Amino acid sequence: MCQCCAEKKDIYLPQLATVADISQMNVTEKYLRLSMDDGMFDFLPGQFVEVSIAGIGEAPITISSSPTQKGGFELVVRKIGNVSGAIHNLRKGSKLGIRGPLGKGIYPVDQAKGKNLVFICGGLGLVPQRSFINYVLDNRSEYGDVAILQGTKNYDMRLFASEIDAWSKRGDVQMLETLDEGHLAWKGHVGVVTKLIRKVQTDLKSAEILVCGPPVMYKFVLMALEEYDVPHTHIHLNLERKMKCGVGKCGHCQINSTYVCMDGPVFRYSDLATLPEAI
Amino acid sequence: MAKPKIAIFDFACCEGCQLQIVNLEEEILSLLGGADVVEWREAMSEKSDEYDIALIEGSITRLEDEERLLLIRGRAKVLIALGACATIGGINKLKNNFDDLDEVKKCVYGRAASKPHLHTGFTKAIDEVVQVDYYVHGCPIDRKEFTYIVRSLLMGKTPEIPDFPVCVECKAKGNPCLWQYDQVCLGPIIRAGCGARCPSNGFRCFGCRGYTSNPNVDAAKDVITRYGLSVDDLKTKMVLFGSKQEPTIYE
Amino acid sequence: MSVKKITKSDFAGFVSALIQRESVIGVQAKGDRFDFAPLESAKDLRLDYDVTLQPPKKYLLPPMEVLLTYEVGGAYQSQIDDKKFILLGVHPYDVVAINQMDELFSQDNYDAHYMTRRQNATIIACDVARSSDHVFASSMGAAVVREGYDILLTDIGDSYLMEAATAKGNELLALAKGAVEADPAALRRREDIWTHNRKSLNKHELKCDPAYLPRLLAKAYKHPVWEERAKTCFNCGSCNQVCPTCYCFNVQDDVNWDLQTGQRTRAWDGCLLEGFTKVAPNHEFRKNRADRFRHRLYRKAAYVPQKIHGQIACVGCGRCVGACLPDIANPVSVYNRLIDDLGIG
Repeated sequence: MCQCCAEKKDIYLPQLATVADISQMNVTEKYLRLSMDDGMFDFLPGQFVEVSIAGIGEAPITISSSPTQKGGFELVVRKIGNVSGAIHNLRKGSKLGIRGPLGKGIYPVDQAKGKNLVFICGGLGLVPQRSFINYVLDNRSEYGDVAILQGTKNYDMRLFASEIDAWSKRGDVQMLETLDEGHLAWKGHVGVVTKLIRKVQTDLKSAEILVCGPPVMYKFVLMALEEYDVPHTHIHLNLERKMKCGVGKCGHCQINSTYVCMDGPVFRYSDLATLPEAI
Repeated sequence: MAKPKIAIFDFACCEGCQLQIVNLEEEILSLLGGADVVEWREAMSEKSDEYDIALIEGSITRLEDEERLLLIRGRAKVLIALGACATIGGINKLKNNFDDLDEVKKCVYGRAASKPHLHTGFTKAIDEVVQVDYYVHGCPIDRKEFTYIVRSLLMGKTPEIPDFPVCVECKAKGNPCLWQYDQVCLGPIIRAGCGARCPSNGFRCFGCRGYTSNPNVDAAKDVITRYGLSVDDLKTKMVLFGSKQEPTIYE
Repeated sequence: MSVKKITKSDFAGFVSALIQRESVIGVQAKGDRFDFAPLESAKDLRLDYDVTLQPPKKYLLPPMEVLLTYEVGGAYQSQIDDKKFILLGVHPYDVVAINQMDELFSQDNYDAHYMTRRQNATIIACDVARSSDHVFASSMGAAVVREGYDILLTDIGDSYLMEAATAKGNELLALAKGAVEADPAALRRREDIWTHNRKSLNKHELKCDPAYLPRLLAKAYKHPVWEERAKTCFNCGSCNQVCPTCYCFNVQDDVNWDLQTGQRTRAWDGCLLEGFTKVAPNHEFRKNRADRFRHRLYRKAAYVPQKIHGQIACVGCGRCVGACLPDIANPVSVYNRLIDDLGIG
């Protein structure tokens, strides 16, 4: 874009999108597929959008679908605040505002080519990771081994269960899933997600490891990876922060000198060494 | 969607907060566009036992008031405390500083003290009796904030009420600090949202919106010492709206 | 460009001509203090002021502004404020602050709301004639400024020197009746004032070159001073609210009574305030007072400098020093304490 066009554009102005599909995933999560009314939307795995509900406000939400999937993009929203609550009230055909894609989306899309990949997800952490997981599976021959570790609090909160099922049935993915709490209908692992790390068949030391989960999970995952001497340059963490503008101005998402909205939300662990507020 | 039904009730207070609503003038008509007011003693004669939102003005000082409030809470989906008497007990809590309420009554009412309608006990804020969903702070309430809260609720949204001190709004307005003019202003520990109305007009903050959720007690002590004041000096400034509040900064 | 000299009475005529021409925001008395406000008469202008309560920032980034309007379920409309105005009497340290904000709001993602106001603003700067109680602009290299304004005024006693730095400034100077080419003695007088101000606007003296501050802070993250100071911090954000280089903001929606139309506003926020980093349902990333206290001083001298070619984002106006009731905000006293403990180099 030329400078004069860039200046005319208002970075705070949302573009209209339409809800193409919406469904309840479990008690707290809703799934949405959106399409931009002007049709234009190119993004990278790991990027996010600012979702606007007029009269309620804006909230940053990471895109859950892969750019390889055409026909709009997908979000998963947990009902926790004003905006997410209002998103839950949307219906098929509802209009909403979108700014983005925002952020760097630095999941190592290109750097990871030819490498083994390990995804470690806690709870909702699967939602943003799913974008790159499906991207990799759609370009399967370009990557080495793929292992996906998913830990969920309990049976009723499992997300994308049928998709996980499909992944585990593929011969070319090691799918490991665990629940914090056991359940009558659950035959799989019980315990925290870090326990699954030792079951990974890929050599962790040479793999690219992508981690996304609640803040408390990172400390434990990093401690576990420390045992395998995984180089910090190979670990990628998706960090959540309060965010207002999403474009590097408002200051809320700052982690020391770094703006999550500009340089993240996915960070190489080695880059966080100088950011004591990160983990 | 049917318009929500709103009822306004008053307890021990001066009814000044209701007056603020009356003073909305043409905005009241807009409010009525979004909601049905079904009971409001100060402005209409109708009464109703069916309502979605109950606005409670005043504090609770009698057992029969507690019973009435419990009844209202049982009927209302949403209960809002309106003004300092309701949110923090307000000026009514002054009497809680005394152990002997009969003495207080005699001092205030003289010979009339024994009349039955003056038989009241210690003051309680609304949330000391029932659960409060939303607070409209201040003495009196700020009309702009009140309408923002009502509109937010009509939109199905939790209003964002500041939990930072009055200083934020005061400085943004370009006011000099009143401490530099020998006023013991409570701004640094009192919840903003009023637009720093008093300091902007040269009066210290009296604290009518109540404390922020985490006022810095050490800072307050440090400042009064710095200005050559005692804890008791500060206490006398805080007693009007800050009587028997938790957390109090002088305990 | 040439420097003009104008007598004080002719200058008053010049100010009146400016007021006739467009909206002028000038420094005026506010009680026994000073502040920027719309100027209605030349006699209200007080270029002899020490410091204003608020920096002129509020005319470029207002405490609250409407960013967008919308209709529920419909399109959003940008609201860009595009009125022309003159900021009259901006001190050099505030000019430096505005220059920094220009960079921050135009880099990466261009903020059309701020930048449109900025482009519509004509800045008439004015050298400091009287130092305030807490100014330390000399320490920060912001006591005198030679760029970022349209006209620079200097009070040389019986008259003002006026130097236009831009075409916009030159155009306005043409309105100055009675202005003559400045004589060498007057120019020397101005040089003397600059020399004096470069040294004397220094009520708090930083013990190092400001360029050293990022390196100082690189080794001070765990220093006890943050806890010690923050112990008496009200987290009232007064330091943020009066700062010419603080620009963090909050964004909120409100609807009109029709519940169908409304506006999205942004309002000043502050990194000292509780809840600044809080996410739903209830996690606060920078929860400790000390962490927030440290963040502000790191932003000024370590983080923001990375975005503006190493410039320190504190210009030494001293407003935070005067605004802080428990007297802990003074950046110089914190940085000096670190120098005492950690040394230079």
